[in-house]
Amino acid sequence: MAFAPLDPLLHNQLRLAIVSLLVGVDSADFNFLLEKTSATRGNLSVQITKLKDAGYVTVKKTFKDNYPNTSCSLSAKGLKAFEAYVKAIKVYLGTGED
Amino acid sequence: MERELTPSESLKLIETMISQAKQSFHRQSFYFLLWGALLIAAMIFNYVMAMQGSPIGSYGWAVVGMVGGLLSWWRGAREAKHQHVHTMMDRMIAWLWAGFLATLFITMLGSGISGDPMNVGAIIVLTGLPTFLTGQLMRFKPLILGGILFWVLGAISFFVDMRAVALLYIVAMFFGYLVPGYLLKRQEDGLRTA
Repeated sequence: MAFAPLDPLLHNQLRLAIVSLLVGVDSADFNFLLEKTSATRGNLSVQITKLKDAGYVTVKKTFKDNYPNTSCSLSAKGLKAFEAYVKAIKVYLGTGED
Repeated sequence: MERELTPSESLKLIETMISQAKQSFHRQSFYFLLWGALLIAAMIFNYVMAMQGSPIGSYGWAVVGMVGGLLSWWRGAREAKHQHVHTMMDRMIAWLWAGFLATLFITMLGSGISGDPMNVGAIIVLTGLPTFLTGQLMRFKPLILGGILFWVLGAISFFVDMRAVALLYIVAMFFGYLVPGYLLKRQEDGLRTA
């Protein structure tokens, strides 16, 4: 059985957590991701930027109640990469198709 | 959170995060409690005025529509400020009720202008649709049952006199909006909401 290489961008705990959260919602703001992942602000910001640069996540910066607000959503490319990643780890675990 | 993940840890993390996101819904109970109370009050007012031969009973519906609309708008705007996540379910529920209100408004306006008053039974039946679908979307049984109750009591309303229709309307609103709204509030208070 040949194992497909895991997407290095998604094979990281925090980035995978961010993408998994975004899979189930239309969009989520920075504070929501911060609360759910329990990451530090700095690390979360860095990982979101990496996902954004790869085209996996779309980031929208707006103002909410006069405060800056960062809203993230999963792009079509990000969703495709996530699906491929899930398929690949299922193969690793022997629960998916090769 | 930087160490290498094993495939089983990855899968577990994905499942946990997806489940976390699923729990992040917006509070809906306020609207059911508000509209349930207002519509029951309007029907009682309408009925009492009709019994006294006064023509002002129908104005109660207009007042309730305006008060309910303003309070719903205020609540929606306030919640939007604290909203950290947007889900497809919230969007679907919002558009479902907006579509229902547009349908109801056009039908009632048209029947009012044409002088062919809309049967209250038809309004109760129509109300069953968004209630039932909201219950299905949220997987919340009291609202599903509430929607079915609207359909059953609405169907009966076509064959009874005005006094019984008023009573059926109040019963439908009580068990279709107020009771599920109260149960939903209890559930929402017990969960973390977005």
